[in-house]
Amino acid sequence: PQAKLIFTLSLLLGTTITISSNHWVMAWAGLEINTLAILPLISKSHHPRAIEAATKYFLTQATASALVLFSSMNNAWYTGQWDITQLTHPMSCLILTSALAMKLGLAPFHFWFPEVLQGSSLTTGLLLSTAMKFPPITLLYMTSHSLNPTILTYMAIISTALGGWMGLNQTQTRKILAFSSITHLGWMTIIVSYSPKLTLLNFYLYILMTTATFLALNTIKATKLSTLMTTWAKTPSLNAMLLLTLLSLAGLPPLTGFLPKWLIIQELTKQDMSLAATTISLLSLLGLFFYLRLAYCATITLPPHTTNHMKQ
Amino acid sequence: MDLTLILTSSTLLTLTILLTPIILPLLSNSSKNTPTTITNTVKTSFLVSLIPMTIHLYSGTEGLTYLWEWKFLMNFKIPISLKMDFYSLTFFPIALFVSWSILQFATWYMASDPHITKFFTYLLLFLITMLILIIANNLFILFIGWEGVGIMSFLLISWWHGRAEANTAAIQAVLYNRIGDIGLIFCMAWLAYTMNTWEMQQLSSTHQIPTLPLLGLVLAATGKSAQFGLHPWLPAAMEGPTPVSALLHSSTMVVAGIFLLIRTNPLFNNNQTILTLCLCLGALSTLFAATCALTQNDIKKIIAFSTSSQLGLMMVAIGLNLPELAFLHISTHAFFKAMLFLCSGSIIHNLNGEQDIRKMGGLQKMLPTTTSCLTIGNLALMGTPFLAGFYSKDQIIESLNTSYLNSWALLLTLLATSFTAVYTIRMTTLVQSGFVRIPPLTPMNENNPAVINPITRLALGSIMAGMLITSYIPPTKTPPTTMPLNIKITALLVTALGIILALELSKMAQTLIIKKQNPLHNFSTSLGYFNPLTHRFNVTHIMTGSQTIASHLMDLSWYKLLGPEGLASSQLAATKLATSLHSGSIKAYLGSFALSILIMIISTY
Repeated sequence: PQAKLIFTLSLLLGTTITISSNHWVMAWAGLEINTLAILPLISKSHHPRAIEAATKYFLTQATASALVLFSSMNNAWYTGQWDITQLTHPMSCLILTSALAMKLGLAPFHFWFPEVLQGSSLTTGLLLSTAMKFPPITLLYMTSHSLNPTILTYMAIISTALGGWMGLNQTQTRKILAFSSITHLGWMTIIVSYSPKLTLLNFYLYILMTTATFLALNTIKATKLSTLMTTWAKTPSLNAMLLLTLLSLAGLPPLTGFLPKWLIIQELTKQDMSLAATTISLLSLLGLFFYLRLAYCATITLPPHTTNHMKQ
Repeated sequence: MDLTLILTSSTLLTLTILLTPIILPLLSNSSKNTPTTITNTVKTSFLVSLIPMTIHLYSGTEGLTYLWEWKFLMNFKIPISLKMDFYSLTFFPIALFVSWSILQFATWYMASDPHITKFFTYLLLFLITMLILIIANNLFILFIGWEGVGIMSFLLISWWHGRAEANTAAIQAVLYNRIGDIGLIFCMAWLAYTMNTWEMQQLSSTHQIPTLPLLGLVLAATGKSAQFGLHPWLPAAMEGPTPVSALLHSSTMVVAGIFLLIRTNPLFNNNQTILTLCLCLGALSTLFAATCALTQNDIKKIIAFSTSSQLGLMMVAIGLNLPELAFLHISTHAFFKAMLFLCSGSIIHNLNGEQDIRKMGGLQKMLPTTTSCLTIGNLALMGTPFLAGFYSKDQIIESLNTSYLNSWALLLTLLATSFTAVYTIRMTTLVQSGFVRIPPLTPMNENNPAVINPITRLALGSIMAGMLITSYIPPTKTPPTTMPLNIKITALLVTALGIILALELSKMAQTLIIKKQNPLHNFSTSLGYFNPLTHRFNVTHIMTGSQTIASHLMDLSWYKLLGPEGLASSQLAATKLATSLHSGSIKAYLGSFALSILIMIISTY
C-alpha cells in the first residue's frame, strides 16, 4: 500500500522533472527516477516471467540513460553548455537518437518491449506504454531540430514494418499491444523533424486510445486471444466499445485514430517525401489486419463458432 | 399533275396497306385476321405498287422522302428517309407479286396447321421488314430492315419448333447472320465516325475509302447471302415449311446482302481490291454450291443449293462492277426460284411428305400442271434463251467473258453454269420422268385453285419478266455489243454440255446398283466437309482456350500467386522471419543494439 504510493509518486516526480528540465543532468535524473520507480511495479507479482521482464527492462533502460548522459556530456565537452535545445555536435545527436530510440522502443532497439510488456500485468503495461513514454517523447520534441532526419525516417519505417509483421503472429494481447505501440511510435518519429507538433498530437491521441484499450482489457482480464472470444457474454457493451477503440487504433476514418495519420501523410507529402508516406501507410495495413482480428474475435464472433452464422 | 407526289404517296400507301392487318386487330376487338384477308391485303398492295413503278418507268421520276428525324446527337441526326428510285420501285411490285402468290399457295399448304394465322402474320411481318430494307435511304433504316428479316427468318425456320433439327437450323441461321452483321455494324460505325452520316446520297467516295469498312460490307453480304464461308445456314434453313423457303430463302431475304452491295456501290466502285474479292468470292460460292447440289437427294436442298449458286453469280456481277445486272438477276431469279419452291411444295404435300427424289418418279402424268411449271422453272434457271433467266444470266456471263479479269473466276463460273444444268436435269429426270417409285396408294390431286393459280402466275412471270424488265431499264453501262461467236454462245454451250452430260449419266444410273464410294462423290455429298470442320474445330478450340484462361490465368496465377493469396503468403514469410529474430535472449538484444549504433555512426561519417 505505502509502497505503491511511493512508487506512483516517484513516477510522477520523475516525469515532471524530465519534462520541465532545461539542463541535461536534470533530464537524466528524471529518467533514472522513472526507471527505478517502475521496476518494482513490474515485478510485483513474483512470477519468474515478471522478474525476467523487470531485468530486461532495467538493462535496456540503464543503457539508454547512460547513452543520454554520454551524449550530453559529449556535447558539453564540445560546445560548453548543457542546454537541451542546443544540441549541436553531430556525434552527440546520433547517440542521443539511439538512446531515445532505446528508451521508447523504436526499431531496431525494440526487442525488449514485447517481452517486458508480456511479463507485467495489464495496468503496469499501461503505465509502461503511456507514462514511461512521456519523458522520452518530450526530449524528442525538444531536440527535434538537431536530430538526423534520414536516420529517424529509416527507424520509423522499420518500426512500422516490424511492428506490423510481428503483430500478425501473436496470440497474447499484451504482445499485440506492444507491437501496436511500436507501430505508432514509428508514425510519431517519422514526422518529428518536420512538424514536432504532429508528433505530440499523435502521442496524445495514442495515449487516449491505448489507455482505453488497456483498461478495457483489464476489466475483462483478457490476456489471450481465446479469452477475448468468450467475453461477449460478460460485458457486451464493453466489447462493442473495444471494437471501436481497436479500429481507431488501426486508423480507420471516421474514428479519431485517422486524424494523426492523415495529417502526417499530408505533412510528409508537402515535404516531398511521398515515397516514405506511401511506405508507411502500406505497412500500417498489416496492423489493420491484426486489429481487425482482435475485433473479430472479441465482438463479431460468438464461440464456439468461428464465423458469424447463426446455424452450422 | 405532280408525278412526284403521286409516286411518293402511292409507295407509302403500299406500305400502309401492308401494315393494316397488323394494326387493325390491335385497335378493335372485332376484326380478326384470316389467311385470306392477309393474302388479299398483299394482293391489293401489289396492285397499288404497280402505280409508282409505271410512273417511274414512264417518266423516270424518283422520290426521296424524309419522315421524322431522330436527333441522336448534336450534329448526327438520323432521319427516316425513304428512297424511291429504280431499284426500290422495281423491286416492290416483284416482291409483292411473288409474296402474293406464295401466300395464296400457303393457304393450301398450311391449311391443316392450327396456328395458320400466326404463320401468315409472321410472313407479313417479314415482308414489311424486307420492304423497309429495300426502300431505305440511310443505313440505319436498312439496318432495321436487316435485323427484322433476320429475326423473322429465325421465327419462321423454327416454325415446327418441336423438331430438334428445325431449332438447330434456326440458331445456325441467326448465328451466321450475326457474324455478317458484325461487318455491317463496323462499316456503319466507321461511316458515322468519318463521314458523320448514314445517308446513301452522301456516301459517294470523293476520296479513297480505306478497304477495311468495305470489307465489313462484304462480310455482311457474305453472312446474309450465304456466300462461301458463311453458307451452311442456307441448306439447313430448309427445315422450315415450303412457303418460308420460297419467300425467304429464294427471293427476298438472301438477296438482302446483294442489295446492300448494290446500294453502297458508289463506295467501292473504284476499289479494285473489293471488286476482285467480290468476284472471287462469288465464283467460289457458285461453284461450291453447284458441286454440292449435284449429289443431293432432297428436292428442297437441291433448290436451296441452286439459290446459293445463283447468289454467287449475283456476287460475281457485283464484282464486275455491274450492279444493275445483279439487280436484274435478283428480279428474274425471284420469279422462277419461288415457283420452283412452290412446285416442290405441291409435290411434297401430294406425296404425303416425301422429299427424297429417289422416291419420286413419273409424276408427269399425275401432276401435269405442277410438273410443267417445274420444267419451265428449271429451264429458266438454266438460262434457256428468252425465258426470264436468260436475260440476266447470259448478260452476266457475256460481261464476264469480255472483261479484263481473273481467269480463275471465269473458269469457276462457267463450270458452275454447266453444273447448274446438270443438277437441274437430274432433278427433272428423277422427279418427273422415268419409272414410278412412289408408294402405290398415294392420293394426289392438284385441283385446288389455291395451288394452281400461284404456280401458273409465277410461271407466266418467269417467262415474261426477263423481257419486260429488260425492255424498260435504261442501261447505265454500255453492254458489250460485239464479241466473237464463240464467246457469245459460251453460256449456251456450257449449259448444253451439262444437259448432255446429265442425260448420259442418268441413263447410266437407271439400274439400282449401289455405287462405290469415290472421294469426289464424298466431297459433294458431305457438302465439302465444311460443316464439321468449322463447327467442331472452331468451337472446341475457343471453348478450351477460354477454359484455360479462366482456370490457369485467373484462378491459379492472379489469385494464388500475385493477388490476394500471394500477398498473404509473402506476408506470412515476413512474419515468420521477424518472429525468429525475437529470440528472447537479452544478450542478443544488447548485441543488436550495439551493432545498430555502430552502423549508424559509421554511416554518417
